[in-house]
Amino acid sequence: MPEPYKRSRTLRRLQVKVPGGATRRHYKERKPKNAKCGSCGNVLKGIPRERPLKMHKLPKTKKKPTRPYGGNLCSKCTRTLIVEKARLQ
Amino acid sequence: MIEIGRLAVKISGRDAGLKCVVVDVLDDKFLLIDGETRRRKCNILHIEPLKDVVKIKKNASHEDIKKEFEKLGLKVRETKSKQKTERPRKKRKTPEQLREQKEEKRKLMDVFKKKKEETVKGKGEEKPAEKTGGSLEEKAGLVEEKKKPVKEKGKEPKKAQKKDSKPVKK
Repeated sequence: MPEPYKRSRTLRRLQVKVPGGATRRHYKERKPKNAKCGSCGNVLKGIPRERPLKMHKLPKTKKKPTRPYGGNLCSKCTRTLIVEKARLQ
Repeated sequence: MIEIGRLAVKISGRDAGLKCVVVDVLDDKFLLIDGETRRRKCNILHIEPLKDVVKIKKNASHEDIKKEFEKLGLKVRETKSKQKTERPRKKRKTPEQLREQKEEKRKLMDVFKKKKEETVKGKGEEKPAEKTGGSLEEKAGLVEEKKKPVKEKGKEPKKAQKKDSKPVKK
């Protein structure tokens, strides 16, 4: 029997070709879900789907768009929001 | 609607949400803008025009726009060109500096040596006294002979190595 942590589905399974030519099963941690827009719920672009440790190592500009509300709202929603604010003034 | 001097808000990009003035209309698609944003070419679809219009000439300079913005109570973005700094390069230490380094090291080594010698002397005096008291004459003599040289060997080679190592460095 494999070890208990390998019996549960918390880890994802990979079929990896090892240097000897055989395929072997590797266990890896699952990635987090895609980041989503706060207003419309669409998947956000420009945000890598990585675990916190790897995100920590990335440069600031590769973690999220540099525009205001970047990383929280999608580009369409930010545009509408800014336009609404401008028209209210 | 879009003309020279028209105030607008930038919608897209990293300057989104900042106010700007149309400085020039380049063609049916692009404008030249300046103000809170960077002075840059911009698509017409990427700005939202406001109702105010500022009196400026075509291709007005950044300073003129700054004056107009100060009247409205807005701040203009000031970009500073980077000053070129010389790349830090490693320099070889002069012989005088190296000498100083070595002297400092020697001072440290001397301090440690003195400490070691003191500790070793203290141990050396105590141990043989105990042994002579405890064991038989022949055995005691053998033990003392055996142990003393071992200690001396332990002391001497270290000193010798250190002494050797110094001249090599010189």
